[in-house]
Amino acid sequence: MPKRKITIALAGNANVGKSVIFNHLTGLHQHIGNWPGKTVERAEGTLHFRGHTIDIVDLPGIYSLSTYSLEEMISRKYIVVERPDLVINVVDASVLERNLFFTLQLIELRTPMVIALNQIDVAKKKGIKIDVEKLEKLLGVPVVPTVAIKGIGIFQLLEKAIEIIEKGQETKRIEVRYEEEVEERIAKLAKMIEGIQFWYPPRYAAIKLLEGDEEIERIIHRINPQITYTAKKLANELENIYGHSCATIITSERYGIAGCIAREVQKLVPPIKPTKEERFHTLTTHKILGYPIMVFLLLLVFHSIFTFGNYASELLRNFFYNWEFLFTDFFGIGVIGKLVWGGIIEGIISGITIAIPYIVPFYFILYFLEDSGYLSRIAFLMDNAMHKIGLHGKAFIPLLLGYGCNVPACLGCRIMETERERLLAAFVTTLVPCAARTVIILGLVGQFMGIQWALMLYVFNLVVIFILGRLAFKMLPGEPTALIMEMSDYRLPHLKTVVKQTWSRLVEFIKIAFPLIIVGSFVIKLTEVLGLLEPIATSFSFITVMWLGLPAATGIALIFGILRKELTLIMLAVLLGTTNFAQVLTPIQMIVFTLVIMFYIPCIATIAALVKEFGWKKALLMTVFEIAFAIILGGVALRVLTLIV
Amino acid sequence: MGEQEKMEKSDMPLTALREGETGIVTSIKSGPGRGYGRGIGFERRLMDMGLTPGTEVVVIKSALFHGPIEISVRGSRLALGRGIAERIFVVKKSA
Repeated sequence: MPKRKITIALAGNANVGKSVIFNHLTGLHQHIGNWPGKTVERAEGTLHFRGHTIDIVDLPGIYSLSTYSLEEMISRKYIVVERPDLVINVVDASVLERNLFFTLQLIELRTPMVIALNQIDVAKKKGIKIDVEKLEKLLGVPVVPTVAIKGIGIFQLLEKAIEIIEKGQETKRIEVRYEEEVEERIAKLAKMIEGIQFWYPPRYAAIKLLEGDEEIERIIHRINPQITYTAKKLANELENIYGHSCATIITSERYGIAGCIAREVQKLVPPIKPTKEERFHTLTTHKILGYPIMVFLLLLVFHSIFTFGNYASELLRNFFYNWEFLFTDFFGIGVIGKLVWGGIIEGIISGITIAIPYIVPFYFILYFLEDSGYLSRIAFLMDNAMHKIGLHGKAFIPLLLGYGCNVPACLGCRIMETERERLLAAFVTTLVPCAARTVIILGLVGQFMGIQWALMLYVFNLVVIFILGRLAFKMLPGEPTALIMEMSDYRLPHLKTVVKQTWSRLVEFIKIAFPLIIVGSFVIKLTEVLGLLEPIATSFSFITVMWLGLPAATGIALIFGILRKELTLIMLAVLLGTTNFAQVLTPIQMIVFTLVIMFYIPCIATIAALVKEFGWKKALLMTVFEIAFAIILGGVALRVLTLIV
Repeated sequence: MGEQEKMEKSDMPLTALREGETGIVTSIKSGPGRGYGRGIGFERRLMDMGLTPGTEVVVIKSALFHGPIEISVRGSRLALGRGIAERIFVVKKSA
């Protein structure tokens, strides 16, 4: 038999160790991108095993195939339309019943599959013992026990997968059967569907029609509307018999079957004392203690990132600038030399000296916390507060990210379920002062007016975020928001997986931000070399001087701050001719300047991230709004402060 | 249900249960008013997570100031926002 390319998909609930298995299988040969046209991540990798070239696709973590979310829709379409040779269903042994609910849906899709019964060590700790052979027999699907985090069972899993692909799967799997009344109607519909050309298995499509699945309904309606009418009628009959919606009836029954199987194969001996993980959970979600613990941990995280970042950044910068003389020897210090060094090379250097030292540890700690399970606890603790601005607890995570850098924070808004929540979260996130803005707040106000003033600005920032968030929430029409989130058991993160996630995020960041940072610094240098700084500053003086009461030169810093925010303070020093800002700016001017910096659009890289996630229109709208808001706020602040003082 | 369980007749929102109490899901109300359309999405999602009628739910924790609640359902631990938890109706199961 000639060896052909094989595709295997990984499917399962969230937090079951799917990505760990994916990493074990693919090693370094992986590529993380997006599903075409969607902001859902697609991880793909290749692997060579017994002469086969195997493509592994990691599907998003989902709880069902009911197309409630984009992730579920993508997964189901992939399985049915692109037909991978095999699906590895990763199942969390410690939450068997709910995981089997998903397994049953895969079985109904009639896809060739094997089950990786993962985290059997965790299950054992919780006092759950699973009879693997019995489970295999009941489902009619091969089951391979694994402990992915330790690499146990991965080889056997792969062997089993190849065996099934080579020999074909024996078809003695269970038929998921519902109650008589339901079965009758499924059979009736399935018969009608058999007559038409359709990707999905007839029985599956019939069940889904009864459940009211919009996607399948739409497609079938186009082929033969008679079928959908019949489905509606049959669904109505069932609703009258059972007194629940048809989706409820079928979901309940499916869960009933999953529950039966789970009870039959698992033996429960709950440990007498709560486990270490359990006690840790209780403590970190404690009504009162949970909050100081969270604040302490977050402060620790930020402190260590900035300490490490400052140190590494300095080190890298010194390293690069040591080579400047070589460069000037070669290009000279003329216009070309200035442009290439000051524009392009310095752009690259600053990209590296900023991205690597701060972004890398930031991502690393973030994924470490996520994999460990702590982020979901933070979301639980912050849910109440986030609801005030129309978001739920999960939105706190991109908000938190924003204090590091707004670019990953905007991308991080993908964890929200609906488009509206994503947009709202991104809007709020761009108002959070990132590390570059922190430099200005601390370096200007903190340094020359005292730290208490800087802290007051941060508090003011939170108040504004709250108000604007609430306004945006009221203005954006749409569905209410709700937290429905699993808090899976705490666990030690798999280091390699965390490193790989960090790496792929870093690559994404570099792709978005680096070209813009380089273009930005080139434009700045070019304007400087052409002697255009002065004219630009004067042309904006009606805003800077008349409305904001600032020296005209600050206009340049503000404009180029959009391109390279971290340079604003240095630029200001150059423009004003001193680093002792107290000599050239009054305290009120410092506050006004900082306020404007704090709220007008973060930087061009953030705009790019917004465009990537929401399209040109929305990104532009947010940018214009924030610039206008910052300028108005600055002018009002000037007048109010002058009155008070 | 072979066991003789005393159940209170009327159903109540899940949020009416105290910490440690067990309830049995009777229905999920899709939201009135501005929740139309997508409200059904929540219902589906909750059921997909295992909250189907007849399921036992234990309230583990209820955050302060009308915050989210933590429940245990089918062996998994879920966090539910207060608003969504108020739409889940249960009958209290007394031990």
